[in-house]
Amino acid sequence: MGRLLLVIRLAAKDVRRNRAEALLLLVAIAAATTTLTVALALRGVTSAPYAATRAATSGPDVVAAVQQSTLPSQLSGLEHAPGVVASSGPYLIAMPNLVVDGHSDPVMAEGRDPTATSVDQPKLTSGHWVRKGGVVIERSLADLLGLKVGDRVGLDNLVGGGPGPGGGPGSSAGALRAVGPSFEVVGIAVTAALQPSPLNTYAHPSGFPEAGLVWVTRAAAEQLAAITGGAFGYTLNLKLADPSDALTFAAAHQHGGLVLISWQSIAAKEGLIVSIEQTILLTGSWLLGLLALASVALLVGGRMEQQTRRIGLLKAVGATPALVTRVLLAEQLVIALLGAAVGLVIGWLAAPLLTNPGASLVGAPGAPTLDLSTILVVFGAAITVAIVATLAPAVRASRTSTVSALADAARQPRRAGWTIALSSRFPVPILLGMRLASRRRRRAVLSAASLAITVGSLVAVLMFREHANSLDTSGGLGGLFRFSGPGDPLWERGMNVMLVFTFALVLLALVNAVLVTWATVQDARHASAIERALGASPDQVGWALVVAQLLPALPGAILGIPVGVGLYDAVGRHASTLPSAPTLLGVLVATVVVVAVLTAIPARIGARRPVAEILQSETA
Amino acid sequence: MQQEVVLAMLAKEPSHGYELRARLDRALGPLGEAMNAGQIYVTLSRLEKAGLVARDELTDSSDHPDRKVYILTAAGAERVAEWFSEVSWPKPDLAEFHLKLVAAAQGGLADPIAIVDMQRRELLRRLRDAQRAAMTEENKSDAALLLEGIVLRLQADLRWLEACERTWTDRRGKR
Amino acid sequence: MKTSGGTLVACRGLRKDYGTGEGLVRAVDEVELEVARGETLAVMGPSGCGKSTLLHLLGGLDRPTAGELWLNDRRIDELSERSLAQLRRREVGFVFQAFHLMEELTAQENVELPALLAGRTPRQARDRARELLEEVGLADRSRHLPSTLSGGQRQRVAIARALANDPLVVLADEPTGNLDSTATLEVLRLFESLHARGLTLVVVTHDERIAATADRLISMRDGAFVDETRLTGGTSGSLAGLIGLGS
Repeated sequence: MGRLLLVIRLAAKDVRRNRAEALLLLVAIAAATTTLTVALALRGVTSAPYAATRAATSGPDVVAAVQQSTLPSQLSGLEHAPGVVASSGPYLIAMPNLVVDGHSDPVMAEGRDPTATSVDQPKLTSGHWVRKGGVVIERSLADLLGLKVGDRVGLDNLVGGGPGPGGGPGSSAGALRAVGPSFEVVGIAVTAALQPSPLNTYAHPSGFPEAGLVWVTRAAAEQLAAITGGAFGYTLNLKLADPSDALTFAAAHQHGGLVLISWQSIAAKEGLIVSIEQTILLTGSWLLGLLALASVALLVGGRMEQQTRRIGLLKAVGATPALVTRVLLAEQLVIALLGAAVGLVIGWLAAPLLTNPGASLVGAPGAPTLDLSTILVVFGAAITVAIVATLAPAVRASRTSTVSALADAARQPRRAGWTIALSSRFPVPILLGMRLASRRRRRAVLSAASLAITVGSLVAVLMFREHANSLDTSGGLGGLFRFSGPGDPLWERGMNVMLVFTFALVLLALVNAVLVTWATVQDARHASAIERALGASPDQVGWALVVAQLLPALPGAILGIPVGVGLYDAVGRHASTLPSAPTLLGVLVATVVVVAVLTAIPARIGARRPVAEILQSETA
Repeated sequence: MQQEVVLAMLAKEPSHGYELRARLDRALGPLGEAMNAGQIYVTLSRLEKAGLVARDELTDSSDHPDRKVYILTAAGAERVAEWFSEVSWPKPDLAEFHLKLVAAAQGGLADPIAIVDMQRRELLRRLRDAQRAAMTEENKSDAALLLEGIVLRLQADLRWLEACERTWTDRRGKR
Repeated sequence: MKTSGGTLVACRGLRKDYGTGEGLVRAVDEVELEVARGETLAVMGPSGCGKSTLLHLLGGLDRPTAGELWLNDRRIDELSERSLAQLRRREVGFVFQAFHLMEELTAQENVELPALLAGRTPRQARDRARELLEEVGLADRSRHLPSTLSGGQRQRVAIARALANDPLVVLADEPTGNLDSTATLEVLRLFESLHARGLTLVVVTHDERIAATADRLISMRDGAFVDETRLTGGTSGSLAGLIGLGS
């Protein structure tokens, strides 16, 4: 017990002495675990939304449908076909126009019972199920049109005719007038009985025209059918004794105008199409994760150098190597676990915001999930980082004698003879900057990598935007399903998410840049003081620091361009067009300027101190 | 000139007085100039009277002291051996100076601190001379080594004088 | 107070305080000093008496709290850091007690650095460095890193470095602090030859040997000068008398 207390006391004292460092490490680990959490939570969203939805809605094994205004007996007869254990329907499908905000587009309106069925009961993500005067909108359609619970829409037939009661909001063209009733959006739901259409929403699989789906009461459906000149068709959901039989079942009963689709076909289609959002989420998380790793590596690397000296000090006052290791481990563990906890909480809060603002986290299919495995992975990762960060210096220290550990106060800077010789040909700031940069190779590499990732992401985003802006924004069915572009709510949401990620990336890149700057400034303090004592002016020394940062940053940024192009090619579905040269140049210049400014500030601050002060403190 | 030194020099081989003088000169470097030329012959005759050296009759027997060749006797050789194994060290004169300061303070005749300062300046001058002499010698020569010893002793004495100054200043302050 | 023709360094009422209120420490207390051109001045005193601080002030490495400081007929206590840097480049050479060599540069590269900082070509810097290393007796160690040199050798590299730009005055803080007798002698010889060439030298030291060979010796205590001596004239007894020679 006594020893445990000792370990805790020593660790606590150590952390208190280096508060800023410990805090930075905590922030970096929190950032890394946040992205790890978000990425893990999203894997449910991106990998198998269909499977989740199917489970949550008791999705059908086979969907049967027919396009005619009367219900054929073959369809209703399927309920009793061999192998069928449950069914729901047949449901009447009308095809009115959905009128909202001056736009009018055809939709499938399926008539349903207010009570739940055992097969294909759409799961509500908000609001309530169908009731008189109410309509439930399928979720992707609701996203597309920006509809929420409580909005009013019109479902009508926009054919020339007399004005009807409660006509929908303004028609899109003078000759067309609304003739149908207005409805209130009472709920938004998802179902597994639809297949993803290439147009970013879900459509009925059975050869119906690609239009979105809404649900109304059976009475309302019949009313709508009446307005639009008859029912469009009927649909029946079947559950089989053996779901894997669905393919053969569908093939066997496909005749006479009946169209049967198995759940496997729907699932296969699902796998082909990944929405913009999911792509962005996945890629963004990976990039963020990489950058956060870079931060942690920078910080841990920086601390490792100091650890060697701390170990030496502890050993010199009599601590055994085992005790020393325990103290270090305790320190690192606490910071890592705290950081992981913070990251988990932030990630847990952030994930649903990114995928579906407004939807609840738990229970909604296709929503991000935070389960035990995620928590375990995140904490496991944090603990691994802590151990790695402790092991390396501990091993090294146990191999070196106490004296040399103490004397090796900072790890000896690497020497590159050729850099030193080469640098003497340049003006003073560049001379000093080159020498400074070559002292710590690994940090330079990390800095370059971090910038390459950042610039690459920015380039990919720019390429995406340029592609989007150049797209034809009309087309698709009646204007409802436009190709994704500006004005499309789904598109807008996708771009927002991308912006969020870009913002987070840039922020993390800034954090990395600050870290590298901080480490470089610390490192350079003694050398800069000597150089100033020998006659270098504070400006020259300040510029040297900037040069030292820019030397790895510039190639990193330039490298970012092909990285960005490669990223876009790998992830995007569209042909890539390089952003214009001025744009690229703009990104490069902006990056360089930001790095320069970030360095210049601490450099200037440090340069005003009298030299003697710095030198005294460096020898202490 | 210490008698034992001359005896020991004769141990190598019988020599004339002036040979001995030359060897001493070389060993002492610039400090050898301080040595009184005649001293050596006085020492030699004393040693002869004490029976530690004898005149070598085999060589020229003129009466000129320069030309006399001296040789160790058996008693002389014994004395040399004894001397090599002795460990006495030339005594420093601290007691005298210390008492000088005390007397000055007690009698009120002079300021002890002023005395210390004067002595310090004197020793510094000697140090300067010794150091200058050392700079002209070759490294590691006999003379250089000797001068090194002088320099170090002067340094030690100077440190003591600084201590005296501090203590006597403190004493004055307390009164 | 302007410096007259023969004075290179001068200060008046020079003061340096650290801390405030109860914790105020007056490191340098109203010091008045004039150093003539070509003079070797030694400042001695116990540790903590402020002699290193004084040296830092003279070299523009630190700013005085009060007082005037003159170097080469120019007032320097109110110069900007940039101007002070130029000063150090052209007129002042500094030798630190802790050497402060760049650990990742060889001896040669260390000595080259001030010349490069002053804008010389790499070749000029290299030649000058070789020359200086020769003078301090380290020509055969020019490719060594400081970590592989002894304390005395490092000290000599530091001295060579201070001379790189042919300064008007060299300020040395305990230049023989880590040296044995032989090395000290060599440094003394070096200083002597520099003195002969007209270099002004201000040395802060514990070592009486250096103090004894200086033109002027100042003792410092608690931030103020307490004594000033010129060791002119001969000595009362001979050196030989000290060691029992010459009766």
